[in-house]
Amino acid sequence: MKRIKTRAWAALILAAALLFGTGVYVWRFAVNGRYWVGFSANESVYQNGALAVGVVTDRNGVVLADVKDGARVYADGAETRIACLHAVGDAAGNIGTGALSAFSDRLSGYSLFSGASGKGGSVTLSIDAELNRCAWEALSGRSGAVLVSNYETGEVLCMVSSPSYDPNVGFDAEDPAYEGVYLNRALSAVYTPGSVFKLLTIAAAIERVDDLYTRTFFCDGSREVNGHILTCSGVHGSQTIEQALANSCNCAFAELSLELGAKTLEQYADKLGFTRQHSLSGVYTAIGSIYAGEEGSAELAWSGIGQAADVICPAALLRYVSAIAGDGVLREPSLVLGESGGRTRLLSADTAEKIKAMMNYNVVSSYGEWRFPGLTKLCAKTGTAEVGDGTSHAWFAGFLDDPERPYAFVVVIEHGGGGLSAASPVANQVLQKLVEENNK
Amino acid sequence: MEQLVEYLLVGARWALPVLAVWVLARCVWSMLRERYEPEVWAWLEASDGSRAALRHWECILGRSKRCDIPVARDDVQSTHAVFVRSDKGRWTLYDLSGGKTSSGIRTDTGEGMELRDGETVQFGGQTMTFHDLSEAERAAEEERRSVPGTLLSQGGTLLLLSIFQVLLTLELVQVLSGEAQTQTALGFAFLILLEWCCYLLMRAFDRSGYELETVAFFLCSLGLAVSASSTPEDMPKQIVLLVAGVALYLILGLWLRNLRRSKAFRWPIAGTAIVFLILNVALGVRTNGAVNWLDIGPFRLQPSEFVKLAYIYVGATSLDRLYRRRNLFLFIGFSAAIVGALALIGDFGAALIFFVTFLVISFMRSGSFATVFLAVAGAGLAGFLVLTVKPYVAQRFAAWGHVWADPYGAGWQQTRALSAAASGGLTGVGAGQGWLHKVFAADTDMVFCLVSEELGLIVALCAVLAVAALAVFAVRSAARGRSSFYVIAACSAASMLVTQLALNVFGSTDILPFTGVTFPFVSKGGSSLISCWGLLAFLKAADTRQNASFSVKLAARRRAGESGEDEVTSNK
Repeated sequence: MKRIKTRAWAALILAAALLFGTGVYVWRFAVNGRYWVGFSANESVYQNGALAVGVVTDRNGVVLADVKDGARVYADGAETRIACLHAVGDAAGNIGTGALSAFSDRLSGYSLFSGASGKGGSVTLSIDAELNRCAWEALSGRSGAVLVSNYETGEVLCMVSSPSYDPNVGFDAEDPAYEGVYLNRALSAVYTPGSVFKLLTIAAAIERVDDLYTRTFFCDGSREVNGHILTCSGVHGSQTIEQALANSCNCAFAELSLELGAKTLEQYADKLGFTRQHSLSGVYTAIGSIYAGEEGSAELAWSGIGQAADVICPAALLRYVSAIAGDGVLREPSLVLGESGGRTRLLSADTAEKIKAMMNYNVVSSYGEWRFPGLTKLCAKTGTAEVGDGTSHAWFAGFLDDPERPYAFVVVIEHGGGGLSAASPVANQVLQKLVEENNK
Repeated sequence: MEQLVEYLLVGARWALPVLAVWVLARCVWSMLRERYEPEVWAWLEASDGSRAALRHWECILGRSKRCDIPVARDDVQSTHAVFVRSDKGRWTLYDLSGGKTSSGIRTDTGEGMELRDGETVQFGGQTMTFHDLSEAERAAEEERRSVPGTLLSQGGTLLLLSIFQVLLTLELVQVLSGEAQTQTALGFAFLILLEWCCYLLMRAFDRSGYELETVAFFLCSLGLAVSASSTPEDMPKQIVLLVAGVALYLILGLWLRNLRRSKAFRWPIAGTAIVFLILNVALGVRTNGAVNWLDIGPFRLQPSEFVKLAYIYVGATSLDRLYRRRNLFLFIGFSAAIVGALALIGDFGAALIFFVTFLVISFMRSGSFATVFLAVAGAGLAGFLVLTVKPYVAQRFAAWGHVWADPYGAGWQQTRALSAAASGGLTGVGAGQGWLHKVFAADTDMVFCLVSEELGLIVALCAVLAVAALAVFAVRSAARGRSSFYVIAACSAASMLVTQLALNVFGSTDILPFTGVTFPFVSKGGSSLISCWGLLAFLKAADTRQNASFSVKLAARRRAGESGEDEVTSNK
């Protein structure tokens, strides 16, 4: 019997396996439960595939999405609904970056303790619906994106993507104007950057080119690289590096790109986060890509100017200009009020300081401060990205170097034309509104 | 009044997990903390005057240290002889050494020699004298052993369980309406009545152990709640099945009291089981890929559930037979026939349960890891064959671990089960208020998640731990087991329950591939419920704590029986 007794432990091995497996399940339950709850077949929080609980408000408490009598209702005012569509999302979950999809776990009122059995939860977004409305108006129907954040707290104050539609009305799927309407262009799209990419090339040049500040860059309107003619936006003559950036001189930046080399440009693109995915409160951004070509090639020269195969996500650019504004250290942007992201150092304080000075010089010497009344210490860079069909995406990105108004911004308008002429007025309009609200 | 009901309902959501943990903790505490004192049944005296106790009804003598009576002599074989005590108190000595035990034992036929008090036996060169326990010694022995239930009141635990059931009923009645409401209330009332009747019956027969039954009734009340939530119209049927299960438990438990009778019926039972399966193969009804149902009149039976009981019964054996190869081969043949039949039927989950139980039984019988590894390797090949031949089984394996990649296809059931379970949190959305019960097979294959959704993770975990506790209990009982028949039966029955539970819980939560087996006592399904009560009887028969189990004769009554009196007297 002694032997049988010992062998009885075989049954305990099974029991131990059972307990181990149960432990694994409980661990998964605790870690993943919030995601399991967000499954659209979960009738505790979804009805017919639409989230049936939860309230979304903006930073000022304006209700952007609510549930009344079991049905999803949105903000009052068509313009607000349209302007906030991509931040709020749609009931069916087509807009993945919207709060209704991205924060479904919080909206379901889920907690490990009581599950999703309550009355649902709420999410307060960091955006200001009024500011979104202003940005939507400024875009006046053009496709593109507007992002404004407070670079000290990381909170995104304005996030608009166009085209958009009124969720109470819907849209005509046949109409080409609504192509890609579910895409949040601020986070999920990538565009050819054009000259805003020079902010990256300049960072590499400051750190890698010894005589950068003493060199004279000559531009006669074009430059031959490896048999290809590279054109410039004008004839800039002899320039310092500050002047070259302010003029957005392609000849000067082609020279720098060829000197820095493909590997360095790709390294900086990675280091500065353009070819990486980022999370804004758990919402993931699109990943840009840089192909800098062979050493000495025209492709490399174009790549350093933000053309060729380069594409970037507007949110990645917002991160970068925020880091320049923050003396090289970035407060990661977030979409939920009061949830600041972590800090990341992208640049040395010295490099950031130098780029900042040049960006301010751009505005003062080239763009004209008169365009931006009251926006003291504006630091910015324009971009006019040729997309091959004769049109250009218009970019304007930068920040206010003002501790009272620590705002960073990125505006991109698809096929919008010149960065200064098309995109900068949109940024101006939104920043004016922000400053005005700030002064109240 | 309405205010009061509302307070009660809010309270119930908290009280149910607390009560479940409390009931389970008391049962486990009582099962594991009670003293399991060894018994002494006879003595062996060596020529130098040293004495060795025979502490079980079956004891092995041999050179090996792992024998019950080790004799360190070169002329004694490592497993030399077996002492076996019958129900009537008669001792028989069987030789395993091939004739090196003193004359009077016929080694060729395997017949033993009856031992009398004071008889001298020769083991190799060692002479030993056998001393049966005198009447006075036995009485003193019994006096010394403690009775379970002194640590924790079994009635108290049952009372807590009853409160749990009343609160559960209250929650359900609030949600249900019309006939379903009445039937649910009546169903639970009947369950409470049944468990108290059983308890009083045990007390009336001076049995004091009631932990196993309490655990089973706890699980059954979850099963009733599941039934009320998914198919309230089946409530009366569930109650009838429950009564049938408890009846089988009592009958099988009483039957197992008599070891000789139990052993004698092993092969007839094996034959019946095979006939059952042949009938199933020939006349089965196909549902969801498996032909594992048999329609008999208005009832729909799942024969494999009853074959489980036969399998445990046939797999268990006493020590005198254990060392004869013929027995093991017969058992392997029986196992192969069952698994083969299940393969033909297409019941992959059941085949797996039988296979794991086969491993446990064959290991307990042979003690050889080599045998077990060989069996696992063989099964691995067979399993591979199944995967290639049966596409729906292969599909389940493919979805395993990736259910969220295909929530509208292969992961349909698991993703819904997980989502519902997470919605329940720790305390649940309330009995009858979930949605998972609308999904196909939620009240059987995904019942763990259904309980987790409606009553919360804590109660669902209590159900898992309750079954695990049964396994621990079986192993603890083994240490003081009388016959290896009971020990092997209890451990293999517990293993069967644990395996079935693991396949159910881990299948629905994507920790293992989805096999579609039932959760013991909780899943809706008559055959399964009845067979689980039957398996519980094997555990009860191994409980040798003083006066604990109705499946073990009371010490005093046994003495009365042994001294020639046929009927129970008031002599205790």
